[in-house]
Amino acid sequence: MSHETETRDPSDLGPGFMDAGEMTVREGIARYVIGFVLASLLTAASFYVLTTSLIWGPGIPVALIVLAIAQMGVHLVFFLHITTAPDNTNNVLALAFGVLTVALVIGGSLWIMDHLNERMMPMHQMMQMQR
Amino acid sequence: MSATDPPFERAGDAYRVGRSRDWVSTSGGRGYVLATGHGEGGPASKRVIVGYGFWIFLLSDIVMFSAFFAAHAVLQTATAGGPSGRELFNWWSIVAQTALLLVSSFTCGLSAVATEARNQLWTQVALLVTGLFGLAFLVLEGRDFAAMVMQGAGPDRSAFLSSLFAVVGLHGLHVSAGLLWLGTMMAQVFVKGFRPDILRRLVCFNLFWHALDIIWVALFTVVYLIGLGR
Amino acid sequence: MFGKLTWDAIPWSQPIPLVAGSVVVLIVLAVLAWVVLKGYLPYLWHEWITSVDHKRIGVMYTLLGALMLLRGFIDAIMMRSQQAVAFRAAGYLPPEHYDQIFSAHGTIMIFFAAMPIVIGLMNFAVPLQLGVRDVAFPTLNSTSFWLTATGALLVNISLVIGEFARTGWLVYPPLSELPYSPGVGVDYYLWALLISGVGTLMTGINFVTTILKIRAPGMSYLRMTIFCWTALAANLLIVAAFPILTATLGMLALDRYLGFHFFTNDAGGNMMMFINLIWTWGHPEVYILVLPAFGIFSEVISTFSGKPLFNYRSMVAATMFICIVSYMVWLHHFFTMGAGPSVNAFFGISTSIIAVGTGVKIYNWLFTMYGGRIRFTTPMLWSMGFLVTFTIGGMTGVLLAVPPADFMLHNSLFLVAHFHNVIIAGVLFAGFAGITYWFPKAFGFKLDEGWGKGAFWLSLTGFYVVFMPLYVAGLLGMTRRLQSYEVAAWRPWVLIAGVGIVIMMAAAACQVIQVVVSIRRRDELRDETGDPWDGRSLEWATASPPPPFNFAVLPNVEGAEPYWGIKRRAIETQQLSAEPRYAPIEMPRNSPTGFITAFFSTITGFALIWHIWWMVALGIVAAYGVFVWFAWHDAVEYSIPAEEVARYDRERRRAREQWLAQHAEQPA
Repeated sequence: MSHETETRDPSDLGPGFMDAGEMTVREGIARYVIGFVLASLLTAASFYVLTTSLIWGPGIPVALIVLAIAQMGVHLVFFLHITTAPDNTNNVLALAFGVLTVALVIGGSLWIMDHLNERMMPMHQMMQMQR
Repeated sequence: MSATDPPFERAGDAYRVGRSRDWVSTSGGRGYVLATGHGEGGPASKRVIVGYGFWIFLLSDIVMFSAFFAAHAVLQTATAGGPSGRELFNWWSIVAQTALLLVSSFTCGLSAVATEARNQLWTQVALLVTGLFGLAFLVLEGRDFAAMVMQGAGPDRSAFLSSLFAVVGLHGLHVSAGLLWLGTMMAQVFVKGFRPDILRRLVCFNLFWHALDIIWVALFTVVYLIGLGR
Repeated sequence: MFGKLTWDAIPWSQPIPLVAGSVVVLIVLAVLAWVVLKGYLPYLWHEWITSVDHKRIGVMYTLLGALMLLRGFIDAIMMRSQQAVAFRAAGYLPPEHYDQIFSAHGTIMIFFAAMPIVIGLMNFAVPLQLGVRDVAFPTLNSTSFWLTATGALLVNISLVIGEFARTGWLVYPPLSELPYSPGVGVDYYLWALLISGVGTLMTGINFVTTILKIRAPGMSYLRMTIFCWTALAANLLIVAAFPILTATLGMLALDRYLGFHFFTNDAGGNMMMFINLIWTWGHPEVYILVLPAFGIFSEVISTFSGKPLFNYRSMVAATMFICIVSYMVWLHHFFTMGAGPSVNAFFGISTSIIAVGTGVKIYNWLFTMYGGRIRFTTPMLWSMGFLVTFTIGGMTGVLLAVPPADFMLHNSLFLVAHFHNVIIAGVLFAGFAGITYWFPKAFGFKLDEGWGKGAFWLSLTGFYVVFMPLYVAGLLGMTRRLQSYEVAAWRPWVLIAGVGIVIMMAAAACQVIQVVVSIRRRDELRDETGDPWDGRSLEWATASPPPPFNFAVLPNVEGAEPYWGIKRRAIETQQLSAEPRYAPIEMPRNSPTGFITAFFSTITGFALIWHIWWMVALGIVAAYGVFVWFAWHDAVEYSIPAEEVARYDRERRRAREQWLAQHAEQPA
């Protein structure tokens, strides 16, 4: 297309791009190392939560989900370079739209199916009715 | 660039969404540049277009996973008298798979740094390590699946197992496709060098590989860790 | 060797599919022979089949949709005629066959008629309206089209080889599971939709990226046309919803092929989960169809009222509101499944709320017309027919949104009449309006007004005569999908509907005649300047048909309705703006990637349906091969030299100057 000139427009970044014009190799590696360390810590924490009684039993799924969300955040920021900089607005909005969709699909399905299952006649009663 | 132009002309239109100019401060100078790909700036550059399009594709893929996740969440207790997660999951294998994938994500990031520095050797090395760790991940997962099928706990045993094999298997399929793509990319970078279109594809691959790790985080949390608790 | 495929797959013993199939095969062979013998094949291959030009792809999509609309309409004729004669009688269609017909009718109409027409019009018009040269990913666009064509082909093959699903267009389990549908019908459905679903998803990605990232300089979000806004909303919905369709049909395929238990009767399967997930896709799907339809009406009404669209910002707000809320209403398709009052109430209320967005739009269209100078051209007639008819359909929808009412009316003919009301008045009328509106831009000559108006009036009348009686029959208790019935009270209504379908057949005939007559008379109907309707948006700034690069120089957009501003200035100053500086333009090369991918997808799909495993493996390997081959391409673009750009553009400017000279305005 005729707008195609591969000059780097520094204000125009897509997802996954580091503003590499300004970043040295060392800075780039450091970013990934920090992300890796944080993610490892969070992963270890998830496994730890399950094996010890540090968290009260019924609260474990919640703790795991919080840790998972934190880990996804680490991935997004350090590995995928999704930030709140103005050039990233479109990416963040798209991500928000995706998250909303996922929440509606999973949350909505769970709510609906839970209600359905609750109101469905238990199996053994249904078998009795068929005799 | 003009250092004196205002950020955007508000000529009588208070609701202008998106912007036309960005304030940038680079080695080329300071001032306002036309913000391509936003508001009034005109078409974006090809790298942004490709990156953004791939980002949207990844989001659609995540929505597809969410449908399988929803099915699994609903069917997690439908064991039909068969084995449940607690009886089946191989703890250490899951830990190993998680670690392998996370490290491969890290080395993929390192390959991106090497690409930015246009270093052919380190790019290939990092990509190769990424691929090998991904392959190890798949091998472990395959062994787990085979063991479960041997035990009579295959996907045809119960709805719970069906949904487990489906959601974990879908992730594994994506990893496999990613490895095929990785191999092709390594060959392309080797033969054609760091051409602009090859660079764009590498960025897409990076996005894909990192997204697979993000999905794995959700997967091992919901399927294995929470499932183990039942 | 060939899996389940044997010579028995051809319906030798069933006269109707045998004759229908033979006729179709003969027509296809005749057309192919004509193309090859007349030497058109190289032209078709280079200019259309391998084209990555959004305008060409848009035309092909629309043509596919129109052809499949005819096929789906024939199914409708068979259903209406069967019901008209099958009162306490067997009729002429055995139940096994009738079931396939209504399933095929729904599947074809939604996936292979409505979607392609809507996507085709978006493909054609959106880049032109945005003032740019093409979509974000042209080769992907071509692949999307050919994958959709693959799906359509597979469904049509089921007429001749094998059978189609007998489960209705949404293949509910457990009926669609192996024990109750052991044949290949459901498999045809599954693979046709899984393959074409990938194509549609790619279209969604393509257009979201295009609309958000590729617009002419100066075109901020609030300077786009409303059609582009509705295209954005619809494509966002495609990206958010189609993966769920893929997942759910994938789960059913896993059940059928690998013995999984997602939705089976035994081993813990939950068939209600299918219905929940499929409608999580299904409701956004209808908004994917209707939002671009609303966009088309906005364009048409504004153009033929001679006024800018009333309250543009509220239209944008209403569009995005509908886009988001459409994801919160899906349970209204299964109120009766038993989720309970709290869940039903939530979704009933949200369904009623989403109607508000459409209400805003209807008022805006009415206020656009008010005070304007209305020209009653064919597209405008379709729009006005829509305004009245769709409102009725919307009202019945809000009635159905009330759960207690829906408990009475679920799966009755009232429901059938409601959704045909909104889809025909909304999507189909919009399709015809859009096709008539943009036809001169695509082909350089207008469609014949007389036959177009005839088609409109017959369609409108036919619609009311078919579906209003069905509302009544539904209220009297008639269920949908009945092959025969015994209740005397329903009979008169079914008979009237049978008469109505004849009127619609006449309308369809008018449409076909319209095209034939227009081609014959094309020199009289020629669009000389590129602006046959006194349009307001950027596509009317180009010649008809536009050059491959659309715009010689990307326009600098300064306000809303950019072309209207340019035109007024030209008319007032009695001259065109200065000739721009022409530069060479890089355009993407044509590519057979899309066609070849679809070719191997067809083979793989067919092999999966008939369990020919070696062919499946071959198809997948070939698909990977195509990927590598495409990825290895070096020369993907070619350059149009500045002189050629100048030549195209000077011709366009000459035509416009001629028009200006002929229409010099008198001072007030």
